Amino acid sequence: MTNKTFIIIISIFLIQFFLNSSYTVEPDEVLENQKQELRARDISKNVRCMICQNQSIDESNAPLAKDLRIIIRDKIKEGNNDKEIYKFLTDRYGDFILLKPPLKLSTLALWFLPFIFFIIGFFIVFVNNKKSKKI
Amino acid sequence: MAPTLGNFALWLSLFFAIFQFFTSRKNNKLKFITVSVNGLLISSLISFFLLMYVHIVSDFSVLNVFQNSHTTKPLLYKISGVWGNHEGSMLLWILVLTIFNYFIFKLYNKKNSAFISKTLETQAFITTGFILFTILTSNPFERMIPAQENGLGFNPILQDPALAIHPPLLYIGYVGFSAAFSISIATLSVEDGEKIPWHIYMKPFVLAAWTFLSIGIALGALWAYYELGWGGWWFWDPVENASFMPWLLGTALLHSLIIVEKRKSLRAWVLLLSILAFLLSVIGTFLVRSGILTSVHTFALDPSRGIYILIFAALLGGYSLILFGVKSKRYFDNNYFTFFSKEGSILINNILMVVICSTVFLGTIYPLLIEALTNNKISVGEPYYNSTVIPIMIPAILVMGIGPILGWGKEDKSKTLKKIFPTILLTTIMTIFIFLIYQSYSVIGIAGIILAFWIISNNLLILIKKDKNCSMGMIIAHLGIGLVILGITSSSVWQEEKITKMKIDSETKIKKYNIVFEKINEIKESNYVALRGDFLVYDDKKNIITILKPENRFYLIKNNFTTEASIHTNLFRDLYIVLGEGNLNDGWIVRIYYNPLVIWIWIGSLIIFIGGIVSMNINLRKLKILY
Amino acid sequence: MKKQLLIIPSILFVLILSTFFYLLIIERNPSELPSNLLNKNVPNFKAESLLKNENFVSSKEFGNEIILVNFFATWCSPCRDEHVYIKRFANEKGIRVIGINYKDNSNNAIEWLKNLGNPYSDVPIDKDGRIAIDWGVYGIPETFIVKSKGIIKYRHVGPITKKIYKKINLLIREIEQ
Repeated sequence: MTNKTFIIIISIFLIQFFLNSSYTVEPDEVLENQKQELRARDISKNVRCMICQNQSIDESNAPLAKDLRIIIRDKIKEGNNDKEIYKFLTDRYGDFILLKPPLKLSTLALWFLPFIFFIIGFFIVFVNNKKSKKI
Repeated sequence: MAPTLGNFALWLSLFFAIFQFFTSRKNNKLKFITVSVNGLLISSLISFFLLMYVHIVSDFSVLNVFQNSHTTKPLLYKISGVWGNHEGSMLLWILVLTIFNYFIFKLYNKKNSAFISKTLETQAFITTGFILFTILTSNPFERMIPAQENGLGFNPILQDPALAIHPPLLYIGYVGFSAAFSISIATLSVEDGEKIPWHIYMKPFVLAAWTFLSIGIALGALWAYYELGWGGWWFWDPVENASFMPWLLGTALLHSLIIVEKRKSLRAWVLLLSILAFLLSVIGTFLVRSGILTSVHTFALDPSRGIYILIFAALLGGYSLILFGVKSKRYFDNNYFTFFSKEGSILINNILMVVICSTVFLGTIYPLLIEALTNNKISVGEPYYNSTVIPIMIPAILVMGIGPILGWGKEDKSKTLKKIFPTILLTTIMTIFIFLIYQSYSVIGIAGIILAFWIISNNLLILIKKDKNCSMGMIIAHLGIGLVILGITSSSVWQEEKITKMKIDSETKIKKYNIVFEKINEIKESNYVALRGDFLVYDDKKNIITILKPENRFYLIKNNFTTEASIHTNLFRDLYIVLGEGNLNDGWIVRIYYNPLVIWIWIGSLIIFIGGIVSMNINLRKLKILY
Repeated sequence: MKKQLLIIPSILFVLILSTFFYLLIIERNPSELPSNLLNKNVPNFKAESLLKNENFVSSKEFGNEIILVNFFATWCSPCRDEHVYIKRFANEKGIRVIGINYKDNSNNAIEWLKNLGNPYSDVPIDKDGRIAIDWGVYGIPETFIVKSKGIIKYRHVGPITKKIYKKINLLIREIEQ
């Protein structure tokens, strides 16, 4: 087999692979306006790739992730703000698609408990310490 | 023959574990305890190495080998394949448990016989639990009838040297906490616990667990960095969190033990921490192996396994926490802490470590809680952890820098200021220097770099002054942490990325480097075929620096693909190239990363490991004096 | 410190373990997601039809009866597996099924339906996957139950198996009543 045919055969193999997993942001997706592109990247980092677990669409290889990246860029070009874009996504996929859960009644504990842990920790130590000083 | 023997050895180790439980419970005959401890160690060694043997000779009459191996797999991965799957990894887990069990037994003498027997009894209970779990739900010696010609192969992404030794290191970490747990239970249970130097017994185990857990986590991150192909190394995946949480508690435990030693304070706290550290290891195992959450690395989806581990965790946790509630009263004390002192800084860091650990735990289980309560699904991912963990981490690092300089008890503030003046000077100079080089400003970047140099220069200065008050191991480990922070900050803040389509002979630029796509090659190996691009890298003086050779591999047996990034590393930056989709006519998609100072994450981790080993050596000497 | 406080760790521990236990014993698939469109109107869309010359307009199609919407493609092998059941819905139960052809080659799709039989009343083409995104689809095959007035009542992700077939039939009967 010549070198060239071999490469073509493997390329075909790999195309199958990339159908299922084209790696992260691709050159043809990138927006020309750098500011807009940065915004798109920032948003993408907060959006979960639905089929891969715990990866954002920015770093994911799934075709759906690519579609969503393109949609986000289209929306940015159309002049939508971040909030509208997130709403577009959660309307369709629910809060699950956000890697950073929105502040809601059901996520109050998630967002405030770390802070409360912090207060409790120092409170216990300070109170105990004060008591000890008296003794 | 070998699988039958292995299975027999596994049952034998179950017998010895139960035997050890009862003999050490009675504590009347040392001979019996000796026999059971040694028998347990030997039988689990035999069963482990027999499993390794059947993997090496590719005995496909064993289901475990059939499912995870293949004759064409390289020898190294046949060996690491033993613990690369759920069943086999349980056997490794048991082996490490029995090794620690043996070391606990080594502490036995006439004065502490009651105490050590109680420890061995607890350890035997834990070991029995895990052996039973393995035999009942995940026996690696299960046969496959009829035997198959060849195996199903092994996920190629896991065929990697770093990942080959990653699990054993992690298990030493998790299981090391079992020894601390058992010692803690014994301390709470026996009548004269106060008179036993239990903290001196506990410390080497905690140090071993912490040191190996650190290097294990670092290796996992290193693997993710070069293997997953997008330049990241930490994803806040539940599996990673499962190893990170015990590490955080281990860090708190390690430092609290110093206070127990020097000030006879915080004893109850240490007992609680050592219980929690091991419970978190077990719950982590549960989360990963029960299939209760989906994750990239989850091992198995089998509810019976989950229920078993859950019941086991409930027994361990229920017993130990209630015991703590009832018996810990005598270990409370009323010592006063000045915050501006060594013990004060350790105390503050203790709180912060536990708060971070609770936050990570909350983030990991919160989606499960929400699902159980409301039937909704939410994601808790990296952005959550970044915005909660990092703000708590920053004061912890600040305190960590100053802690070692402060003295025990009361400290004169003006004196301290004089002491830290050189560090402040050095930190300022280094920070300005770094910013002159990278010329990029962000709040997190500035904070991270200042903190990193704050730690590095503090510890370097102590090292130069040869301060007798500070433990050598501690200084080295802290220095390592400083370097890790430096690497993490700069590589995440100043990373540059270039995504472009390249044809052969075309070139592109990133930073000062010119990269020329020279050619594409075919690779044929025994178990994969691949396309490899050759990229010539030139610097700004047109000198060729290196040829980077990223690959796309196709593994024939498992029918899957991997991308192999190619990385050129020096002390200042990594150049990282990944080959993407493409063909001869249109060119290939190429992603190039410029990652500043990444290597310091790995060097720092290694230094942490060395610090841990040095410290272990010092503490073992302290232990020897007792005998 | 008050002695009663010492019991807090064990209580927290019990609470956490009970949650885990509950999640283990209820029948749940950790990778299945509830649809966010439940009890909402079907998204409006217009698309070329694979079988007819006129465009498919969603506002004209949904309204009076219970309709199944099935996202499929010829390159997706689970879609082939579930095709038997889709046909049974259409032929045995007389339910209207709309098949949305997801990111597919139209010639392949026509061939596919010729060979395997066509249970679909209409097949709108979703060339770039945008319609699927509007429906919150994340992995085909997916099947939706849409009741009268175009309200989505149920979504199943993955191929329809015997068990799911029965479940969907049961749900349809419930909705009818």
